[in-house]
Amino acid sequence: MSAIGEVGVLGERSPSDHRGEGLRSFATAVRLGWQMEANWTDPLLFFIYSVAKPVASALILVVMLQVVGGDASLRYRSFVIIGTALWSVVISGVAGLAWAVLDDRERYRMLKYVYVSPSDFIVVLLGRGVARLGVGAAGAVITLVIGVVALGVPFDPGRVDWPVLLVATGLGLLSIVALGLLMAAVCLQTRQESWSYPDAFAGALYLISGAVFPLAILPGPVQAIGLAMPLTWWIEAFRRALDPANPSSIGGPGSLFQAVTGQVAPGNAEVLIALLATGALVTLAAAGVFRLSSRRAKELGLLDRTTGS
Amino acid sequence: MSGPPLDLVGRSGTDPRSASAWGRRQELLTNLRAIRGRAYPRYRGMVREKSWLLFEILLPFLSTAAFVFVYRALKAPEQYVGFVVMGGAMTAFWINVIWMMANQLYWEKSQGNLELYFAAPIHFMSILLGMALGGMVMSTTRAAAVLIIATAIFGVSFDVRDWFLVFAVFLTTLAALYSLGMVLASFFLVWGREAFHLGQFFVEPVYFVSGLNFPVARLGLIGALSVGLIPLATGLDAMRQLVFSGATFPIGTPSPAVELGILVVMAVLATVLARWMLASMQARARRDGRLTVRWQ
Repeated sequence: MSAIGEVGVLGERSPSDHRGEGLRSFATAVRLGWQMEANWTDPLLFFIYSVAKPVASALILVVMLQVVGGDASLRYRSFVIIGTALWSVVISGVAGLAWAVLDDRERYRMLKYVYVSPSDFIVVLLGRGVARLGVGAAGAVITLVIGVVALGVPFDPGRVDWPVLLVATGLGLLSIVALGLLMAAVCLQTRQESWSYPDAFAGALYLISGAVFPLAILPGPVQAIGLAMPLTWWIEAFRRALDPANPSSIGGPGSLFQAVTGQVAPGNAEVLIALLATGALVTLAAAGVFRLSSRRAKELGLLDRTTGS
Repeated sequence: MSGPPLDLVGRSGTDPRSASAWGRRQELLTNLRAIRGRAYPRYRGMVREKSWLLFEILLPFLSTAAFVFVYRALKAPEQYVGFVVMGGAMTAFWINVIWMMANQLYWEKSQGNLELYFAAPIHFMSILLGMALGGMVMSTTRAAAVLIIATAIFGVSFDVRDWFLVFAVFLTTLAALYSLGMVLASFFLVWGREAFHLGQFFVEPVYFVSGLNFPVARLGLIGALSVGLIPLATGLDAMRQLVFSGATFPIGTPSPAVELGILVVMAVLATVLARWMLASMQARARRDGRLTVRWQ
């Protein structure tokens, strides 16, 4: 009797226990993700590998600007370097969760065990994804520093709108994690080939987010899709917080934003509100899709189905 | 004391050793079957996984389109749009070489297939050749799709004066690229998790030094070195000159014929090197016990 009673007591958990367990799972997953990312080599080599990609991406665009030359290329230099730097966070954030699924299912064959463990599946995946997001963020910071030091990006700490920068960064990172969750949901359904899917998805978002050119150059309906994406508002907020002289990626002559609102470019408050609203929508959608996907994966036995190619 | 006659399962020979000896024809046929077998999942997978159409063709096209819009935003001459489209199409091959040739042996090791390849009565080069041929079919489909869609949407106009040279450069570029892939694959045989990071390292930085979206000669000395060492840079530059004959290229750009010569040398050297590297890396991996070590 007493044993049954003890089991009953052990089985009952208060909400604070759940929170504590959730945090522990998350912290462990972040640590595991970081170890998997970084412990295969020495810090210097890891640092070189982490920054090579965003720096090279920025250099491709800088040379493109130089090839064309003229005033526009000078005006857009800071624009493209900031956009490219931020994009490394997007790529690593979107890929982080999706690759956690693929790593655990296809390579380490641990996904089924993670799924049946007492930890919440989504919390573990988020933790793994955050570790990779951190690597991407480090790459972005280094690219920005190189941009300021070597590539002529203006930076005056006194002119930076720090509150907007911090709020935008927080909301932007949450939105990126939500997009990563969406890709994880897709990868739960697909086969090993989906290693390249996060990059492809991020590449498509690259077109409609105003990362390296103003949206105004796109057709109206594509601009509308871009305006529905939180990344567009995040990059705009980050750019204007860093240097208000940067051209707007959302407004400008011929832009859908101007046609609808009559304003040349959105103000800071509008940008942050739009970022919050679109970010919330994407997060809700991602959570819903992930839930459906994980349920379907369980029903069809996809959690331990490995594939080759 | 002669016993009952030996049953050699229909093989010719007087004893099991001579009966099990393979003739050249049998060896060749088995290796050809291995090539076909390893190529099969590559091209068959294109049909079986429908999401591939979206993620491998449409979305990469959008990524290429982003660079087109950068040039359009800067009001650059239209020839640069064509350069970007060509670059976008050729990246399909480079991505394939890095992730599905070079990195593939690392995946195979993780999945437990690598030891089967080594235990099978085939030459390992057959496996690599099969991967390369299957990858070429896959990547050509993707590259052609990017090229056709982009040409239709952005109105790229080609000006080809020597179709023979275009095909010669294209095929030699593929040969050089996939031979390089075989060389890299042998390195990846002994590497662990650094393989993935090295793969990442070989994408954007190589795009940059290869002049993905601009004439490689714009990079000066770096561009010259790239043309001499990286098949993507050489092939892309030659193809651009051949399919946009009217466009102006920076002074110092080698002619397509010279670049074709460089590609031929690259292809031959890389194939020879791949054979040697594979043998030497395989010996090293056997010695260090790394052929079956997973996940490190």
